[in-house]
Amino acid sequence: MSTMKTTRDVRGVGLSIPRPDGPEKVTGRVQYVADMTSRGLLHAKLLRSRHAHARIVGIDTTRAKALPGVRAVLTARDIPELKHKAPTRAHAVLAIDRVVFAGQPVAAVAADEAAIAEEALDLIEVQYEVLPAAVDPLKSMQPGAPPVAELGTEADTSEALAHSAVAMAKGEAAPAKAVNISQTAAVKRGDVAKGFAESDLVLEHTYRVPMVHQGYLEPHAVLAEWDRAGNLTLWASTQGSFNTRSEVADVLGIEENRIKVIPVECGGGFGGKIRALCEPITALLARATKRPVRYVMTRREELEAGMPAPQVIIRLKTGVKRDGALMALEAETVLESGAFSGTVLAVSAVFLGSLYRWPAFDIKGSEVLTHKPSVAAYRAPVAPQTIFAIDSHMESLARALALDPVEFRRRHLQKPGEPMVNNQPWASNGAHEVLTRIAEHPLWKEREAWKKSSGNGHGLRGTGLALGGWLGGLQPTSATVKLNPDGTLAVLTGQVDIAGTNIALAQIAATAYGLDIDKVKITTGDTDVAPLTGLSAGSKTIYTVGTAVLQAAQNARQQTLEIAAKELEASVQDLEIVDGKVIVRGVPDKGVTLASIGKKGNLYMSKVEPVLGVAHPAFSQQAPAFAAQLARIEVDPDTGQTTLHDFVVVQDAGHAINPLGVEGQMQGGAVQSLGIALTEALMYDDSGRLMNPSLLDYRTLTAADLPDIETIIVEVPSPSGPYGARGVGEPPIVPAPAALANAIHDATGVRLTEVPLTPERIALAIAAKG
Amino acid sequence: MNVRKQAMTLTLNDELVEVLVKPYETLLDTLRETLGLTGPKEGCGTGDCGACTVHLDGKAVASCLVLALQARNRQVRTIEGLGTDDTLHPLQDAFVRHGVPQCGFCIPGVLMAAAALLAETPRPSDEEIRYGIAGNLCRCTGYTKMVTAIAEAAAAVPQGAR
Amino acid sequence: MILPGSVKECVQALAEHGAAAKLVAGGTDLLPQLKNHLLKPGVVVDLSGVATLKKLTADKGLRIGAAVTARELERDGRLATGAYRGLAESGALVGSVQVRHLATVGGNICNAAPSADMIPPLLALDAEAVIAGPRGERRVPLRDFITGVRTTVLGADELLVELSVPDPGPHSGGAYLRHTPRRELDIAVVGVGSQVTLANGVCTKARIALAAVAPTPVHARAAERALEGQALTPQRIEEAAKLAVEAARPISDQRGSVEFRRHLVRVLTRRTLTTALARANGGQA
Ligand SMILES: Cc1cc2nc3c(=O)[nH]c(=O)nc-3n(C[C@H](O)[C@H](O)[C@H](O)COP(=O)(O)OP(=O)(O)OC[C@H]3O[C@@H](n4cnc5c(N)ncnc54)[C@H](O)[C@@H]3O)c2cc1C
Repeated sequence: MSTMKTTRDVRGVGLSIPRPDGPEKVTGRVQYVADMTSRGLLHAKLLRSRHAHARIVGIDTTRAKALPGVRAVLTARDIPELKHKAPTRAHAVLAIDRVVFAGQPVAAVAADEAAIAEEALDLIEVQYEVLPAAVDPLKSMQPGAPPVAELGTEADTSEALAHSAVAMAKGEAAPAKAVNISQTAAVKRGDVAKGFAESDLVLEHTYRVPMVHQGYLEPHAVLAEWDRAGNLTLWASTQGSFNTRSEVADVLGIEENRIKVIPVECGGGFGGKIRALCEPITALLARATKRPVRYVMTRREELEAGMPAPQVIIRLKTGVKRDGALMALEAETVLESGAFSGTVLAVSAVFLGSLYRWPAFDIKGSEVLTHKPSVAAYRAPVAPQTIFAIDSHMESLARALALDPVEFRRRHLQKPGEPMVNNQPWASNGAHEVLTRIAEHPLWKEREAWKKSSGNGHGLRGTGLALGGWLGGLQPTSATVKLNPDGTLAVLTGQVDIAGTNIALAQIAATAYGLDIDKVKITTGDTDVAPLTGLSAGSKTIYTVGTAVLQAAQNARQQTLEIAAKELEASVQDLEIVDGKVIVRGVPDKGVTLASIGKKGNLYMSKVEPVLGVAHPAFSQQAPAFAAQLARIEVDPDTGQTTLHDFVVVQDAGHAINPLGVEGQMQGGAVQSLGIALTEALMYDDSGRLMNPSLLDYRTLTAADLPDIETIIVEVPSPSGPYGARGVGEPPIVPAPAALANAIHDATGVRLTEVPLTPERIALAIAAKG
Repeated sequence: MNVRKQAMTLTLNDELVEVLVKPYETLLDTLRETLGLTGPKEGCGTGDCGACTVHLDGKAVASCLVLALQARNRQVRTIEGLGTDDTLHPLQDAFVRHGVPQCGFCIPGVLMAAAALLAETPRPSDEEIRYGIAGNLCRCTGYTKMVTAIAEAAAAVPQGAR
Repeated sequence: MILPGSVKECVQALAEHGAAAKLVAGGTDLLPQLKNHLLKPGVVVDLSGVATLKKLTADKGLRIGAAVTARELERDGRLATGAYRGLAESGALVGSVQVRHLATVGGNICNAAPSADMIPPLLALDAEAVIAGPRGERRVPLRDFITGVRTTVLGADELLVELSVPDPGPHSGGAYLRHTPRRELDIAVVGVGSQVTLANGVCTKARIALAAVAPTPVHARAAERALEGQALTPQRIEEAAKLAVEAARPISDQRGSVEFRRHLVRVLTRRTLTTALARANGGQA
């Protein structure tokens, strides 16, 4: 039996508790969509264009339809819902008369077996008239480039709204002839020309980060089934079941009430499973065949036709005084969005112009369409790319001025309350604290000795750090907390647990209600049963859903105490919940158990109301969160190979609700960040075809490439987060590209402005330097 | 399409199993689609990610690269046969306690690679552990807790107990 | 699928099905090709049941069965010493442990990818391919075996049964290195296998074989000649490394540029020669 506890001793917030789904996951029993089946299940395959840009002259499906075991073959002609001006990728279910990226689906097959469906694909004949493709975003921006979107298609800014919630003015209209510029934004303050004129040092570089893939291990998968009444059930691997429902309803033109999305265990998303992708076509195949249909993307399809992160090109020019005073910043950001609009422009401007205190800035951003797969979010969208530019630049400036690089950053780092580029004040954050903390790390203090130990059988050694962060997403949400008849507590949300958030939400409920965590169960409901909630994205689950759960638990506690107050003839203020019992403070023997309250709420003829805490908050205050990362490295000057000896992540979690889970996020995010820094890039040839469509050539890092990732959690409480918590998912993917570029510069004297920092780039730069 | 199936037997998780397979079916597909063992995952289908790792005669292999018929008369062990119904294997237990699994998709493969490593090298160094699971891509964890858990499980098993 | 139990049965199966038949050993090259629809064989002949192909014997040289795996090369104690160490190193670099348990030497050679890792050390050891066919056995020097990207001298009715490595003598050392951005699970940007044999402090035989810099693995013959008959000083090794670059005819692709590949040939030739020399001298390097 548990010992007596006051509410303060409840096992809840702040404890490192392993996720309760651990045993199911280590035994292989957890079911992902591809593991599920259904009576009469059919398998879907999509025929995809090999051309980046082509007109479809004709499609002949006769032979495919005749193959035994094939149950349906669909082309755009079979889907009257399709619009020429598809506002999003999800709406472009199958290409109508033009394909706009290599990998775009043009036909779909459902068959008894996956192998039959695949064979049917080979029997579909598509005649293309190949058109010139816009592959390089800088060329695609120029007048006369081959057009990507249909004339008059609107920019899609929903991603920006979901993720960053930073308001920014739209830029002036793009030059009329540059057909592929789909969005622009501009912010300006002060007199930039004057600032440069008065500067002692003007530095200009162009930084480039290629398209990268989220690399989740589970490819996209969905199982769709209709009932006779016309209701659709989707078992989906998604980061947001309500969003999936809305998008699919919109594409199919049916009411949301007709669709039930059941979020199945998601084998990784990182932003890539926010938007609907293969759900609409799978639903259409299921409708055409009147059978359940399962579609699982292959890895090759994922890499060729998933929704990667945009390529980001930033030209950055800054002026400073000899004493290190910042004078002016000018930046042009180009986000390559692929064939459909959907990037986040504002984040880049905020970090470029207002992470540090630039008295004058002029920042322009353009979203450019190309004939490549359209992009989506990837953990802190556009932040790693932007921080790569601004932090590399700050480091270069400090070194050029012979100033301490950390002191230089700290001196100019904006503080809470100071204005961001959009003139909104920076919310409370721990940027200064994490920077200070990492500068105290022995690896930073000993960086000179490490560098001196270069040579003598060792390579070139160096240390680098960088600071980056995330502004924090916001989205309305809701949660309920009910007291069960046996006195246990059940929390219900619709929030998909992609990062271990459910255990942390349960911890919040435990502490807020006053009951041990092992008495709290949390469920992610499907879209029919769960209250509305947003995406598991933007580092906002704990911050927003955590708040909802906190409020719902407090609400349930209040109801519980009110019921007990009547029974005990005491006032609510004098009551507390101790060890599963409501007692009058200081009188432990006089009390009523939660079980009895719970039971009365569900008893025949009982007059006691069931306890049901409800909360459905909306939010306006963001909680930015920062991470600093430090790399101690060694470079083989001949091969350019970088060996990562140590890697440290310092991160402000506000309040670590579950430190074990926070560490896991920090380590995983750091390694994705290191992948962007060192090895990852989707590489396209001149015709727009992906040259590395496998995980052998699209190189995410393996265990052998990495040291242990050291984690240091800093807690600068957010005034608005539950128990002071901030989002923790995104900050750790941000700093490494800059930290590694800085470390490589420290080791070799070579400054690289394009990632990945491959051995080839490093070795050839060293050789060129002589 | 040549769909004539061939019969074969194999020892699967210590039980003799007879199964009909198609000529070019992979062991992974047979396990998942025919035998209902969905613990091994398909993350790439071309041997690049390790999510489908099983033991073939005690050795870790990518089951997506093995034709089912190549496993005839051989011993196959999947994640379903690593522990028992009642108790977790020490590696599984360590993974749970260290909070290793996040999305969990890579975990069955990692555990099978780690178990094969420990069978061969009962007291691996951290470096040996890292190379032992280098064929298993994980996108969530950054591997650190994995390495710690494997090292701890290795240390917990008495020498020579395997 | 045909499941022969001996080389003879295998030859029979090939004779019966001709060009429609495709051999499978470890399947690590074949299955991805099947998956990506690069290949549609009529019938697959499985070598995994042919025990003789799995033997590795070391007795005045080596006889390596075609179905010996990369993992076996990596872990075989008989290859852990100086002369054959390059072979063990090449096996250890293939794919990941899950791939190495399947990947065979014969598959690596017959797949004939320019980047194949196990070929350069075998070339450097002057290995000979032993081929079985309907007219019996024939032997072809490995250097003549591969004729182009993914093509070999094998007829549709033949299979590779063994690699025969002549005794390199007491003072011989080998080394293999490759460059890849990742440490495991990667394909060579450049690979170099070097073998040096010494007598009285002089190099009597030098072999340098390069991977991933030409349509087939190639010998750097000028570099080899520059070393033979010489005492191997660091300067001579550096000169040979420079000469080795001349043998390379690389292309630029997603794994590396012409410029970087040429650069790597020099670096890796220097390094493998230096290590091979130390091993020939009995060093444990
Ligand atoms: C993830 C991954 C990583 C890899 N990494 C590497 C690497 O690092 N280095 C490297 O060199 N390779 C690598 N490979 C390629 C592959 O593993 C090797 O080439 C391997 O040695 C092939 O052997 P196998 O037995 O699997 O060949 P199989 O796939 O069975 O056969 C390959 C080809 O050879 C033919 N063949 C096989 N055996 C014979 C025989 N005895 N006689 C005639 N023909 C025969 C087959 O018909 C087929 O055409 C990798 C592959 C994968 C999937």
